[in-house]
Amino acid sequence: MAVRLFLALSAAGLCLAADKPVDFNRDVRPIFSDNCFACHGPDDKHRVANLRLDTEEGLFADRGSYKIVVPGDPAKSRLLTRISAANKAVRMPPAQAGTTLTDAQIDIVRKWIEQGARWERHWAFVPPQRAALPPVRNEKAAHNPIDRFVLARLEREGLKPSPEADRATLLRRLSFDLTGLPPTPAEVDAFLADKSAAAYEKQVDRLLAMPQYGERMAMQWLDLARYADTHGYHIDSARDMWKWRDWTIGAFNRNMPFDRFGIEQLAGDLLPGATVEQKLASGFNRNHMINYEGGAIPEEYQVEYVADRVDTTANVFMGLTLGCARCHDHKYDPISQRDYYRFFAFFNTIAEKGLDGRNGNAAPILEMPTAVQASEVAWLQQAIAEHEAALAEKETQPLLAAWQKTRVDTLPQPPRDGLLAHYAFDGNLSDSSDNHRDGRLIKGVTPFVAGRPGQSASFNGEARIEFPGFQAERFAIALWMRSGALSEMTVLEGGPGIEIGIEESHPQPDAKRGSPLYVEFQGRRWHSKTILFGAQWHHVTLNVEDGKPDLILDGARVAMDAVGPVAARPFRPMAIGDPHNDKPLKGDVGGLRIYGRTLTPAEAEALALHEPIRFILTQDESKQSKEQKQRLLDYFLTYDATADLRRAYRELNSLKQRLAQVKKDIVSVQVMAEMARPRDTFVLGRGDYQNLGAKVTPAVPALFPPLPRDAPANRLGLAEWLFSPQHPLTARVAVNRYWQLYFGIGLVKTAEDFGSQGDAPVQRDLLDWLACEFQSNWDVKALQRLIVTSATYRQSSQVSPALLEKDPENRLLARGPRFRLPAEMVRDNALTVSRLLNREVGGPSVFPYQPPGLWEELSRGETFTAQEYHESQGPDLYRRSMYTFWKRTVPPASLTTFDAPDREKCTSRRLITNTPLQALVLLNDPTYVEAARVLAQRAILEGGNDPQARLRFLFREVTARRPNQSEVRILLDLLQRRLDHYRKEPAQAAKLIAVGASKPANIEATELAAWTTVASTILNLDETITKE
Amino acid sequence: MEITRRHFFSRTSTGIGIAALGSLLADDGFGAADATGTGGLPGLPHFAPKAKRVVFLHQSGGPSQMDLFDYKPTLDKFAGIELPGSVRMGQRITGMTSGQSSFPVARSIFEFQRHGQCGAWVSELLPNIAKITDDITIVKTMNTDAINHDPAITFIQSGSQQPGRPSMGAWVSYGLGSENRNLPAFVVMLSQAQALNPDQPLFSRLWGSGFLPSNHQGVRFRAGSNPVLYLNNPEGIDPGTRRDMLDAASKLNRMHLDEFGDPEIETRISQYEMAFRMQTSVPDLLDLSKEPQHILDLYGPDCRKPGTYAANCLLARRLLERGVRFVQLYHRGWDQHNDLPRDLALQCKGTDRASAALVMDLKQRGMLDDTLVVWGGEFGRTVYCQGRLTGTNYGRDHHPRCFTMWMAGGGVKKGFSFGETDDYCYNVVSNPVHVHDLQATILHCLGVDHLKLTYKYQGRHFRLTDVHGQVVKEILA
Repeated sequence: MAVRLFLALSAAGLCLAADKPVDFNRDVRPIFSDNCFACHGPDDKHRVANLRLDTEEGLFADRGSYKIVVPGDPAKSRLLTRISAANKAVRMPPAQAGTTLTDAQIDIVRKWIEQGARWERHWAFVPPQRAALPPVRNEKAAHNPIDRFVLARLEREGLKPSPEADRATLLRRLSFDLTGLPPTPAEVDAFLADKSAAAYEKQVDRLLAMPQYGERMAMQWLDLARYADTHGYHIDSARDMWKWRDWTIGAFNRNMPFDRFGIEQLAGDLLPGATVEQKLASGFNRNHMINYEGGAIPEEYQVEYVADRVDTTANVFMGLTLGCARCHDHKYDPISQRDYYRFFAFFNTIAEKGLDGRNGNAAPILEMPTAVQASEVAWLQQAIAEHEAALAEKETQPLLAAWQKTRVDTLPQPPRDGLLAHYAFDGNLSDSSDNHRDGRLIKGVTPFVAGRPGQSASFNGEARIEFPGFQAERFAIALWMRSGALSEMTVLEGGPGIEIGIEESHPQPDAKRGSPLYVEFQGRRWHSKTILFGAQWHHVTLNVEDGKPDLILDGARVAMDAVGPVAARPFRPMAIGDPHNDKPLKGDVGGLRIYGRTLTPAEAEALALHEPIRFILTQDESKQSKEQKQRLLDYFLTYDATADLRRAYRELNSLKQRLAQVKKDIVSVQVMAEMARPRDTFVLGRGDYQNLGAKVTPAVPALFPPLPRDAPANRLGLAEWLFSPQHPLTARVAVNRYWQLYFGIGLVKTAEDFGSQGDAPVQRDLLDWLACEFQSNWDVKALQRLIVTSATYRQSSQVSPALLEKDPENRLLARGPRFRLPAEMVRDNALTVSRLLNREVGGPSVFPYQPPGLWEELSRGETFTAQEYHESQGPDLYRRSMYTFWKRTVPPASLTTFDAPDREKCTSRRLITNTPLQALVLLNDPTYVEAARVLAQRAILEGGNDPQARLRFLFREVTARRPNQSEVRILLDLLQRRLDHYRKEPAQAAKLIAVGASKPANIEATELAAWTTVASTILNLDETITKE
Repeated sequence: MEITRRHFFSRTSTGIGIAALGSLLADDGFGAADATGTGGLPGLPHFAPKAKRVVFLHQSGGPSQMDLFDYKPTLDKFAGIELPGSVRMGQRITGMTSGQSSFPVARSIFEFQRHGQCGAWVSELLPNIAKITDDITIVKTMNTDAINHDPAITFIQSGSQQPGRPSMGAWVSYGLGSENRNLPAFVVMLSQAQALNPDQPLFSRLWGSGFLPSNHQGVRFRAGSNPVLYLNNPEGIDPGTRRDMLDAASKLNRMHLDEFGDPEIETRISQYEMAFRMQTSVPDLLDLSKEPQHILDLYGPDCRKPGTYAANCLLARRLLERGVRFVQLYHRGWDQHNDLPRDLALQCKGTDRASAALVMDLKQRGMLDDTLVVWGGEFGRTVYCQGRLTGTNYGRDHHPRCFTMWMAGGGVKKGFSFGETDDYCYNVVSNPVHVHDLQATILHCLGVDHLKLTYKYQGRHFRLTDVHGQVVKEILA
């Protein structure tokens, strides 16, 4: 309540001098909107007393015995009598509405009626008019038209503009604003030395031409576009949208006109003869979250994706809260629920699935091969087609049929010599070696299922089977196994003190997780060099001789690393499942054989390669499954067919592998693409995907001029309509957001809401003038130049107590902007001034320092991507923060601490907080500790020999200005005390300078450590992280 | 001057979980370094609160109500028989079981007994919670709108199935502020599953601040040497060095303040002081060495292992004691689609003792009267079996129509059970409690009218309970 009250006061305080005429749009409509429209507004279904206060007809209608508003006559206006009634039962708004009018608000309404009750359409729905430049007394103070508007207002308020900021401060401000990075002292020096009249403008042009300009502009766009590197919901695995991000940076750098930019972002795919780049641009509306939670209902999420596109598009381009009309007519703005779903229809015909994204990008996808990749794919596909023709089914099938009939008799037999036991798991646990060493189920159940070689037993983690033990120094164990999970698990234990299992899984180069096999015997442990992946069958033959195991995996010998001693296992019965160490097998085991001797490689091969084929061949052909038939064919073409066929088959497989590899390396991006047969759109009752109402076709909300008659009723038509000259919102919303970039607050504070609930513009004439100017050519760089070359922008940001009291938020701009830097710039600044920054533009996102465990504690794990954080190495640790991998469910902690959004939804403005957690990041995050140390190195190596010179160097590198004598004194004292300290504690010094991945310079540790504390102190100053 | 200061503080928000306006209005002078509490919004609480603080023991994944609290002997009769269409009534079910050809009823294989004076039925899996039945209110008729984890857990924590809204703790931080300047108003702790099947993920949005200023988001307390992110000084910086650096920075900032006049600099100085105090207050808070043996015994041996549910419960008490307004625990692993008998037993073994211990511990300190304890998941589980049903093994899918939560202290009844479900534990028969009702009730216990705690964003006055929610008066003491 108090917050709302205060907002109202602020509007009144700034906008309404006591004797000034009341302006309906600025002063009165916000009161009606916030307090009355919920019951007496645009929502047709929930209107009370058949009374509308949001339209002219409603306000002035003759209601028989009374009128709501009688211009000039407050006493006869029922509106006023009701809102000022002493009797609570009569007074509006009623108690249950939750809002109350203040005396000041009632007074405004009274004055408005007294002054003739002039009504106007909501200002933002009327196209902007270019206002004449207002006269000002101090013309000299106005550099450009912006200043005329600002100055005229200041003069009316009796305020004076501030003098221009000093050049160092100004260049630092300008550099952050146009590139997101601070200036170097050399750049500051050049500016200080430039006595030409256009010195400042030259700096502006220099900065606008830097590639970092595009990055800076894109930073704001990424928030709006809810750009991220993961899908967001539930599993939150990785996606690749960085090509789209890089397109955006490039478009700003090329100064693509904003109308072109907007049209391509919204509908690049629909442009006639759309280029790859134009299709890529349309990724804007595929940055929304995408779900594939097991069990989720596709229709539900498909609706959410479209709703997100609607919210984002309306917000970014029109500053409209269209989403309010999803469940019912808008309560405040004249937007019906039907309007909403007609707008929704523009975005509802994308060839997408409700649940998608499990394996990276979600359809529709644009593949972006390099030229080399494209030609490689083409010839591989061609070669594969040729090989497949040579191996056509009609050629191979007769051969295979003939082979099948006889081959079973000649297949190598499983070895029987020295066989101690054989468990086939084909329905029971009996030993088929005639040695009667049957196994028995100790607990749980082990279903017998189709597996390898034919059948196998399935273990769920709680069952246990025991087999009679045996003692031997020389033996072999052979078995089929398939693990069903990725955690460490024991497959088999006991017997002569042996244990075979699967190690804890680790990410492998292609982002899958896999594990080595482990073997323990007589107090020692080995790990296989070959990695096993879950859900795949493997045949294991383990020969043991002279206390050492020898592993044959899938018929081939595999090296093992000794990993050290372990506790020796006693002789016990041999067992599978629920072992001593509480890491039970989850998976399947088949064809277990024990031999009292070792097996030769040929014998192991017979078990691994031939026995499963024997099993299939002994089955009736009609009972063979499709998968089994494929395995027979594979076996035949690999081993037994003619040499030509075998070679063709070998080549085919290798070609397919290469194609898969090349395709995996091709970067793709999620883009917009229309369905072949467009999906119908219906009004959804209460916004519920199950509640289909009337069918609707695409159209823009009725409050606006319609699409031109010859325009297509699709996204392209919509996008072009947004940039038509008569559109009241697009240009205003865009210039307001750019204004916000420089001054912290837009001319309309609620950058995301230009509707009747939004704040009125603090200077509508200026906003409209800028909008008209921008609309004339949509030149983005020209607009930035216009703003930053204004005298308004160039003012000093020092503030007097009197001005602070009069205009605490600096809405009137009697001083320059002063704000804490956005999160990305806080970090980029530290990297820049230490010279750690890697200025590479674009490319895949990177993984800078992050406290361990942040992802892993929350994530699902398993084989999904982006579940574990693997820090980048080398220069990627020092990329600009906008390239930090953005995982939506765990966004980068050191950036969110400085108010970076999680990117789940479109963000039009970041709120700025000032918290102790921010202090902790700047003091303790290795990023900043390392930056301080590298900065200290530079001070020592480049700053001269005397401490005072070094300190001045250091201070200027960070703040762009020269420190005064007291500042120098304070820091030199600190340095001296720290030097004394670290001389006494050299071990501490060594530890401090070791923080970070970069190697400390060859400087005495105590000196470097002491200077590091000084550099860190300067990096923590308020002015360091502030645009002044 | 009053308006000026309010203006100024609308520009940025300060503190961790400390509402800006409130801290200023309460303090009358910025940057005061006292350790007293900071209020939230003026006018809050709306009425005298029963609870000053809340601890929400969220059991992530959806614990099975009919295997733990909602005793259904009738299921013995129906076991193995197809769930009648008249019960399911065509209600939607998840994509995980919608393809099943049959929906056989799975009875609970666990024994139930009556406990306490109130005679509440509790499963054998929860022998310790069984001992506190006379202190708690069991709500058997919780229900939710969502049928899958992401939307359901987002719904119970933020009042909306889709992301973007502030979490409950963030709302409370925004509305009521903190009772302790040196600690966050809203603290979050996680513990990992005992169950062997894979866990469901969690999301930082669950303790996020949504559209509220980010200083209201929950602060994670983590096991290990760096309990709050970036809390520890880097190696080689001892407290003396840190103090020296801060003193120098403070002097420089103050000189700059004199030149620029921006009160934001003053705030920065005080935030650095608070950071320094946190470096002492947090380790002190985490130091369990002063906890007497009988308390450690009460929570069980796990409480000595940092990061376990038991350790987090004990820490929760220490946080509540120091005035932290909202403590949110998440324990993972309650998603028993298969192997329910094994995994549910493991989960209970890992949490039962500490959950009960927290209630008993608060009670013996006299803190239970003004601390609200809430236990429960984001939804319940189906009576029909997911996967293969055997005499000893079964699984259950997500079920939104009814599930059980319990609450203790802070204004709710003792030894009370609320709401009835049908014989199949499928639908609510009487006294439903929707998630929005629960949220309204929790706020009510804190003295907050859920209709009046609002924040204007995108033109709308949002609240935790969206446009729904009724305080469940019947469970209030």
